[in-house]
Amino acid sequence: MSTLKAGQQQGDPTRKQRREQARTQRREIEHAQATAAVRRTRHSLLGIVVAVVVTGIVVVLIASAGSGEKHIKPGSAEATAASSEVTTLLTGIPQNGNVLGRPTARVTLQYFGDLECPVCKGFTTGALPSVIGKWVRGGELKVEYRSLETATREPEVFRSQQVAALAAGRQNRLWNFVETFYHEQGEEDTGYVTESFIQGIAKQVPGLNLAAWTSERGEPALTNLLAGDEQAASNNGLDGTPAFLLGRSGGALTQLEPSSFTEPGPFNEAIEKLVKS
Amino acid sequence: MSSRALRFTLIMLTSAGLGIAGYLTYVHYAGIDPVCTAGGSCEKVQTSVYSELAGVPVALIGLLGYVSILGLLIAREGERTRFAMMALTLAGFAFSAYLTYRELYSIHAICEWCATSAGILTVMAPLSVWRFLRSSPSAPTPSRSLGSPREQRVHAGNLPSG
Repeated sequence: MSTLKAGQQQGDPTRKQRREQARTQRREIEHAQATAAVRRTRHSLLGIVVAVVVTGIVVVLIASAGSGEKHIKPGSAEATAASSEVTTLLTGIPQNGNVLGRPTARVTLQYFGDLECPVCKGFTTGALPSVIGKWVRGGELKVEYRSLETATREPEVFRSQQVAALAAGRQNRLWNFVETFYHEQGEEDTGYVTESFIQGIAKQVPGLNLAAWTSERGEPALTNLLAGDEQAASNNGLDGTPAFLLGRSGGALTQLEPSSFTEPGPFNEAIEKLVKS
Repeated sequence: MSSRALRFTLIMLTSAGLGIAGYLTYVHYAGIDPVCTAGGSCEKVQTSVYSELAGVPVALIGLLGYVSILGLLIAREGERTRFAMMALTLAGFAFSAYLTYRELYSIHAICEWCATSAGILTVMAPLSVWRFLRSSPSAPTPSRSLGSPREQRVHAGNLPSG
């Protein structure tokens, strides 16, 4: 009795206090274990979310690379087929600068285009081959390609691509360049027109002297031609592409507004009237 | 930063993002040019092929994302809402990073509205991760008393595990 009293006086815990202490310790351990488990779960969840998000972005990148920037790559089988199609279309037809057809042709069609304009591509690969086959090859019509910035958003890119075509025209191969460009045109606003793309087009133009073409591209006279085309379009109230001026060669040209850009019918009808008049 | 201050900051950031996404969605459907100090850059981005994903305007996707995040921030705070909010914010951050990449390397134009939204999500992403990881593992403070400790254990036992 005296020993117990002495122990309590010295601060020894009672049985109840020891039980309480053990319970508290057990709770602390359980709490620490639970906290660690929750943290592990949270880190796992974070890892899963990051993995899902990264996978999603990779899928979107792959999907958009397959559609958004799609254009025919120079050297590919599609490019070879396009190049062959262009060569077949133009072989035997005289070219002079931006003009396709005999200089003595009775009728002139001025085609205002932007090389990145998808509707121009629709015309170039739709109605134009038939018009070329029927009227240009026969010597009644000549077609002049002129530049008007519409689809290309960056003026510097527009200048670069259109001047590249005009430089090919210095070697009487503008139409090969323009036709090849339209055939291999990419998705609008995807920035596919790079220096590498332009050079890739030039390399597909048969007989083009690349060194001379590169040198011609720097000539200010070609940039001045672009300004002249823009002025001509403005004078005739043309604000979209493709746009057309048609008339007797050497005479006044008037705007042609066809009901379709891909069907040759409206073009043939208008040209026929002038040829027979 | 206290939990309350962090939540308030995230609500403010989300509201700003919501305003931007709402404006860009309006501009998209109204067919008007967005107000832009950098020439026609915003218009160029807004009318590019990357302004839509599977036919849905990305501005609308952003708007729905911000609305969802705001809803989760306003809702009663818990493990699940914090996790969902973090997941949505990380997805939004990654998507805005992808769009910024497209602006820089495909469209070659920066839309200042989109860049601001991307900046907001860049700040929100680490904050939402921090909020999710650092919060107390215990259940949220109950709004009413659960009674005695014994009663509390019974209630805790009824909570879904995981």
